[in-house]
Amino acid sequence: MKVLATYNIKGGVGKTATAVNLAHVAAAHGNRVLVWDLDPQGAATFYFRVKPKVKGGGKAIVRGSLELGDVIKATDFDNLDLVPADFSYRHLDLWLDDAKKPLVRIRRALRQVSEEYDYVFLDCPPSISLTSESVFRAADALLVPTIPTTLSLRTYEQLDRFVEENPDMVRELKILGFFSMVDRHKRLHRRFMNELRTAHPEILDATIPNSTDIERMGVHREPVGAYGKGSKPARAYEALWSEIQTRL
Amino acid sequence: MSKVRRYEVTAAGDFASVLAVLTDHLGLRLLSLDEGERSWLDTLTGTLEQAETTLEFRRPSGEGTPSLTWAAEGRVLVYDPCVSSTPPVQSSDLPESAAFERLAALVEGGQLVVGPTVNSQIAVLASLDDEEKTTARVIFDRSETIDGVSLPMMLEVLPLRGYEDEASSLEKKLKRSVALSASATPMKELALQSGSSGRASGSGRDGAALVPTMSAARAWRAVLQTLNDSMVQSFSGVLSGSDPEDLHAFRVAVRRIRTILQDGDDIVDPESRDRFRHEYRWLGDVTTPTRDADVHLIEFPELAAMLPPSRREDLATFSEVLLRHRAECHAAMTVELRSMRRAEFGTAWLSFLADDDAWTGCGDLADEPVLRIVLRRVEKANRQLVKNGRKISKKSPAIALHELRKEGKRLRYLLECFAPLFDEKALVTILHPLRDVQDVLGQFQDTEVQASALLELAGELEGADDHSALMAIGGVIEQLGVRGADARASFSKTFGRFDDRKVQRAFNQLEPRKKKR
Repeated sequence: MKVLATYNIKGGVGKTATAVNLAHVAAAHGNRVLVWDLDPQGAATFYFRVKPKVKGGGKAIVRGSLELGDVIKATDFDNLDLVPADFSYRHLDLWLDDAKKPLVRIRRALRQVSEEYDYVFLDCPPSISLTSESVFRAADALLVPTIPTTLSLRTYEQLDRFVEENPDMVRELKILGFFSMVDRHKRLHRRFMNELRTAHPEILDATIPNSTDIERMGVHREPVGAYGKGSKPARAYEALWSEIQTRL
Repeated sequence: MSKVRRYEVTAAGDFASVLAVLTDHLGLRLLSLDEGERSWLDTLTGTLEQAETTLEFRRPSGEGTPSLTWAAEGRVLVYDPCVSSTPPVQSSDLPESAAFERLAALVEGGQLVVGPTVNSQIAVLASLDDEEKTTARVIFDRSETIDGVSLPMMLEVLPLRGYEDEASSLEKKLKRSVALSASATPMKELALQSGSSGRASGSGRDGAALVPTMSAARAWRAVLQTLNDSMVQSFSGVLSGSDPEDLHAFRVAVRRIRTILQDGDDIVDPESRDRFRHEYRWLGDVTTPTRDADVHLIEFPELAAMLPPSRREDLATFSEVLLRHRAECHAAMTVELRSMRRAEFGTAWLSFLADDDAWTGCGDLADEPVLRIVLRRVEKANRQLVKNGRKISKKSPAIALHELRKEGKRLRYLLECFAPLFDEKALVTILHPLRDVQDVLGQFQDTEVQASALLELAGELEGADDHSALMAIGGVIEQLGVRGADARASFSKTFGRFDDRKVQRAFNQLEPRKKKR
């Protein structure tokens, strides 16, 4: 089982869209996939039409008194399941802080379902906190959507530095950055992409376009590939998934 | 894991009216409605069934491409809506995806064979909650075998993980709205049990799974594998010798394998074909004395009963001779069956059956559709049987009848081994009189063989002056002669029923007609 976390310190960069769409692509390829919506906003949960409620409470999962498998919900797509968000996840940092060995809590919870899934996508809230550090410990790779703008460049480099400075915490973690919400008509986007690729050649080649098709996920409440099969963004997520697999 | 709940729809009404209740009255959303042929695939050893999974190959009746679905307890593990127009046979034929890789690993290089095949109308419906999220899927299935036998309409409720309560609630609603009775039998089993599953009878355990369009090489291989299975099944019984039926079944399988190999020219690799025909001939030969001895023992009481009561007691000592002879034959046979020759040939045979390369490009006709080839060979075998059967007269030597019997066996085995390919009605029309001809010829030959064997065994009676026993045996041989004469006398009439216009016309009707739906 590979654990992939969609992560960025900055919000609104397409983390949830990435988690939901890549999970859908991976499942359509016959992989057994689980999405764990760790963001109390519950956007991934919303996209899958699941109610944002964890029976028994998210705290019990973190504490280990409730099995992760007991709260999993099947989505409408074959081989694609979800651990829904719960508004109480806003306290996740506090629960972790109270727990012994907080950094391994998420990893332990995932271990319970390691035989059932090929890939787990963790959709993380935007911050650097105990939750994110716990995610770093659990994940094999961080998928970092990055908008080609100055601020995003800063946050990408912040994350890069954090990982470099904390080798014990992140161990074998791979950072897989890619450009998201790209508008190729904007000269600024093209310029930042060139600059960032020069400075960080490890950034993936696949890019996700800025598209109303992706925005319509909120209307359709399903992944792009489900209602816009063959559309440009659907193809972009397919390409991104192919490239990610070569890097894992 | 959420388990599928299965029901037989006992409600009056057709598929459309029940479907209307599901959608209009119960508010289920129709996700798909498909019509076409579907076949269940498995390995010859039933690997997928043992793993509690099913692999379905569907061919839509209208436009559209075939699809392949691998599922466990109703949960789709992988679905590929665009596969080749013929079912996959090897792991390498499976579409490329992570789940199909898992399937290939499960199959472990084994060959996939087509199991039961039905024509179906399948509706997939979803029960939705207030977020319009699916909480359970309902599969409504009306199928009939390709012979047109209607199977019970089935309805399956598949709870989605995490929504078991919602599925239970849906079940209650369904039971209130549609007459249902709980069923533990999935459609695949119903198709198998329907009796017409012969077209694709299971996973090779009861017969080779064949479809008319499969390549001749695949079909020949599937038939040989099935025959091998039945041979292997009876082997331990043959060695123990406790039940003569085991040896009989073993020999039938051996003879059939020889026939299928014989008729496998341009389909089976010629070198392997020659080698195994030769070895199977040897295997048949080493079992013949024991089988003959079994027949003596089985039939002797009946023959003895035809003698006057005063002479039956004289046969007591001869019965002991027969038993001793049978034990000697069996001991000699087991030595051969446990010999190095048998072991080496058995290993080579299994390797040959399992070796994909040995069945690729092995003959000019290997890739031809099997039905076309088999029909041609059946026609040839029939032509020969009719021609030579018509030549038989009262003066024909016994060897002519013996040869004719062999020709009849060839035809019968071809028809029986490839039975799933043929039109059932035409097949029955042919097989019935053909078996009668074979019975008559068999009876004639058996009496000849038995008479000479008994005469020979009589010499083993202790005490050459046991005249009363010899006289009694003479009486038995006389009875055998009467039987043989009766059989021979009835040949002409029995053969005439086979060489009849209606039966011979049925040979032209063996190719199944496409059903109008």
